[in-house]
Amino acid sequence: MTGPVAPSAATRPVSGSRAADLIARELPGLILRRAVAYGEETVWIPRERLVEVCRLLRDHRDGRYTVPQFVTAVDWPDREPEEPRFDIVYQLRSLEFNDWCRLIVQVTEDDPSVPTLERVFAGMDWLERETYDLLGIIFTGHHDLKRILMPADWEGHPLRKDYVSFGEPVAFTHNLDWALPALERPPELTGESR
Amino acid sequence: MTVLPPLEPPPQKDLASEQYERGREMLGVESGLDSVDLVQLDDSTMELNMGPQHPSTHGVLRLVLELDGEVVKKCKPDVGFLHTGFEKDFERHNYQQCIPYTDRMDYLSPLFNNLGFSLAVEKLLGIEVPLRAQYIRVLMCELTRIASHLLWYGTSALDLGATSPFIYAWRDREKLLDINELVSGVRMHTSFIRVGGLLADVPDEFYNMVNEFVLTFPRLIDQHEMLITKNPIWRERTVGLGPITVDDAMNYGATGPILRACGIPYDLRKAHPYSSYDHFDFDIPIARNGDVYDRYLVRMQEMRESVKIVKQALDNMPDGPVNTTDRRVALPPRNEINTSMESLIHHFKLVTEGMRPPIGQVYQAVESPRGELGFYIVSDGSNRPYRCKVRAPSFSNLSSLPHMVKGELIADVVAVIGSIDIILGDVDR
Repeated sequence: MTGPVAPSAATRPVSGSRAADLIARELPGLILRRAVAYGEETVWIPRERLVEVCRLLRDHRDGRYTVPQFVTAVDWPDREPEEPRFDIVYQLRSLEFNDWCRLIVQVTEDDPSVPTLERVFAGMDWLERETYDLLGIIFTGHHDLKRILMPADWEGHPLRKDYVSFGEPVAFTHNLDWALPALERPPELTGESR
Repeated sequence: MTVLPPLEPPPQKDLASEQYERGREMLGVESGLDSVDLVQLDDSTMELNMGPQHPSTHGVLRLVLELDGEVVKKCKPDVGFLHTGFEKDFERHNYQQCIPYTDRMDYLSPLFNNLGFSLAVEKLLGIEVPLRAQYIRVLMCELTRIASHLLWYGTSALDLGATSPFIYAWRDREKLLDINELVSGVRMHTSFIRVGGLLADVPDEFYNMVNEFVLTFPRLIDQHEMLITKNPIWRERTVGLGPITVDDAMNYGATGPILRACGIPYDLRKAHPYSSYDHFDFDIPIARNGDVYDRYLVRMQEMRESVKIVKQALDNMPDGPVNTTDRRVALPPRNEINTSMESLIHHFKLVTEGMRPPIGQVYQAVESPRGELGFYIVSDGSNRPYRCKVRAPSFSNLSSLPHMVKGELIADVVAVIGSIDIILGDVDR
């Protein structure tokens, strides 16, 4: 084999450690949990302090996380009540320090709301609307929280795990009810749920 | 003698009011039209619907424009017409089955989507593919970047009325699609980059075809530039149009040529090198003003840089396999299956169930022709992604459109949309 050897991922710095250290230093006691995996650090923060944390990351001279990368949520319907159902994931990028960080805010099924960040990052407007549309997370204070990808009159939030959009399973002897025409099927057979 | 009364002049026929009366009779309208003021000179604005079938929207983008005369006061993009739920589809397919879905998101640069997804899954698995596969990935991606920029250049010039660049761009892009066809059998949705390597090694004709392209294309870019770079009509339409400042571009999350046209030399190929991009010598073109013309200049120069990378990849192409030998991903070789029962079982399990990356969450971004294309994958240890979020560059870039077109003329909205280089399949996913 010719050519230089590719650098291994282990030599690269951990993404997001700069942000985690900054939050820990400037707002002590705020971080709920930190975890490093695959060379990426994830920080769990309480939702009441989300706006404050993002303003700090954006404005502090050691952070400068000025670019919103994306917002999304991950639905874990089976883990309540031990842990809240939704992980809302934020990723911000710092061009100055060539780093990105991941923040996670957890919210429950009964109150899936989180304060909006559209006054911190203009790009959050659409990103939050997308998350509301697909996962039903309410961003309180958002000026125009309505569907963006799905039609305006759509019901349900497709990326939730209990939203059925999948096709029918193949009928075998253990699930012969599936072989019946759709209208004659027992009502609980509406699709594969997850 | 009788005195006749003085003659009255015949009643003047008011043609307009007569027509008006006749019209009312025909329509059967009793009253009501009288209450409408036909002429109103005030500061009210007009709402104009543009798209989703407008040819200059590059797909199905709908804009609701609030106009004061010809000036755009407000612009509200309406997206989602191409939403196909790919992220939901990922959750029910195993990892290898997801690859064809990624092709269809950003359908003009499918290889970048393949690459981003494959790199993310490889990060979960802790696999590094052989160097030859990395070089071929880089080579094919840069060819795709050229193809994508050529298409952008042709269509956005066509939007402004220049037909010739479109024809020439198509002529050159055709050669790149031929290369795609040679290596994968398909011209656009190649699915050429797979988790763990490539679909297959490249055939022998590949080197000649790429070499010929590399030798001829720099001269062809000069031809393209000769057509419009200094063209007074093109400059009149694009210089100073739709500008965005560095701070606003960052605030909206805009990346790629839009950010680089503002003067920030940020390119993930340099900033976070993946797939051995750090072995290649190339520059990041930037411009200063962040307007439509500068985005054009940046993209044209990027094509030249891509040719440089392709040339280096071709010259230094290492030998060796193009797929990993890690058995969590790779199928056992044929001769082993003939003699070993375990290998046969493993082959069967891998084909029917697919690979099972460990539990965790990863994010992997690549520099697509439109900017930062990222894949955020959450794995629960099963053979299907638990959640796969695609950070689509066109989505964030398009969200800055209302900011760019505010105060511009309606005819220039077309030019600004073109300069963002949106792919609606990427916006809506």
